[in-house]
Amino acid sequence: MQEESTLVSKVFVHETNTEAFEALKVFFRDNNLVGVRSSNTGVLEVLNANIDLGAILLSDEPDENGKSGIDLGIEIHRMRPELPIFLRLSANSTLDDLPEYTQSVFAASYTLDTLDTLKEQTDKYLFNTHYPSVIVRGIEEITLDSLNTAIRDMDIKCDTPFLVRDKLIIGELFSLIPIESEWCRGYMMLQTEDIEIQRMIQANLTGLSSEESDFRGVNSVLSEICNLVWGGIKSRFFNHNNSEEADSTVKVQVPIIINHAHRYISFGVDDPQLCFRYTIKDKHEKLGPITVYQRFFFHLSWRPEEFKEDEVAVDDMEESGELEFF
Amino acid sequence: MAHVLVVDDSAAVRNEVSSFFTDNGITVLTAYDGKDGLEKLKGDPAVKLVFADVNMPVMDGLTMVEKIRSDLKNPVTIIMLTTENDPNMKGRGKEAGVKGWIVKPFNGPSVLAHVKKIVGV
Repeated sequence: MQEESTLVSKVFVHETNTEAFEALKVFFRDNNLVGVRSSNTGVLEVLNANIDLGAILLSDEPDENGKSGIDLGIEIHRMRPELPIFLRLSANSTLDDLPEYTQSVFAASYTLDTLDTLKEQTDKYLFNTHYPSVIVRGIEEITLDSLNTAIRDMDIKCDTPFLVRDKLIIGELFSLIPIESEWCRGYMMLQTEDIEIQRMIQANLTGLSSEESDFRGVNSVLSEICNLVWGGIKSRFFNHNNSEEADSTVKVQVPIIINHAHRYISFGVDDPQLCFRYTIKDKHEKLGPITVYQRFFFHLSWRPEEFKEDEVAVDDMEESGELEFF
Repeated sequence: MAHVLVVDDSAAVRNEVSSFFTDNGITVLTAYDGKDGLEKLKGDPAVKLVFADVNMPVMDGLTMVEKIRSDLKNPVTIIMLTTENDPNMKGRGKEAGVKGWIVKPFNGPSVLAHVKKIVGV
């Protein structure tokens, strides 16, 4: 049986009750959670500085500024709706005592006497997917190798892998590539800061010359790392099925690069893209026009000679919106 | 009166479909992917009709239908509401026990009479 991997998750904690805080420290240690503590003067500042969180823990007791966790929870939920908020309640109260909207802000409640219910909730919201440790360790090894290949003379380390529910972008440069196999499908994304890679190129720590440190050079470094990691993951983890039934189509993939700082996106090709522009105007001229651009990137395959419009199928198609009974 | 379950990863579609049926006196539950759809169905025995998208993350609609029949053994009426119009996909749906197929966009008035008959309004 594959062993469980040791993944952790960062949780933001705003707790002014000393007894509760000490109990939570033990709870975190025993349940693979890493607490990020708020400061009394800047709860939201600390929260904004941590955008890779799994959950938030608050208390219904007022803090040193007189603000209760319930009011804070409502504010935080508006800012970060993806993060489950767990509310520690004083004895003899329940979430049902709160107004309906306020109840919906909190994923669950617990008391110091019922920390087992907090464990159930963190398992449900954070540790609900099994990641075999051989895969987690393998990803780390492959990626460290790829980074060491692409970047010279640097000490590269990986922190303990962690689970995140935030959907916020880290940095402004990222590379995306689909990951597809018989047993998994999804995406890998690498995110970093444009300026940091630029500095490495200028310091001759990559395969590019220092003169190539403009944003396109930066993009190519990250894209190459993404490619190396993807290739390593494919080689190590995806089955190489040589049976006749196996799909013999070679599944080529190329990283997509997005650089927000320079408003740049690349699919790895220099060919012109088919583009449509739609203008949406208010007939009553109360709203300004909206422009929507549609672009097609057939960067992996484009064989229009094999396209056949099937007239029979078109005639047989149900009108959209109509119910076709079987 | 029976309930309707709408399963779609698009909040806009869930809102459009559920609002239409609610405005016509029908109780609606919603789910955001196939896995959530199974949970919601297990939790409400009053659901007699399911509208489901095909392309959803975590668990797609046709896999959800197959599990409704094989794991839950639930004979609920299922209508797919999807952008897909592929005959092979429709065939898979039919084999899995799907009763109807609607290619988006949703046209509430054209299905209302059928829905009311199924849920007993």
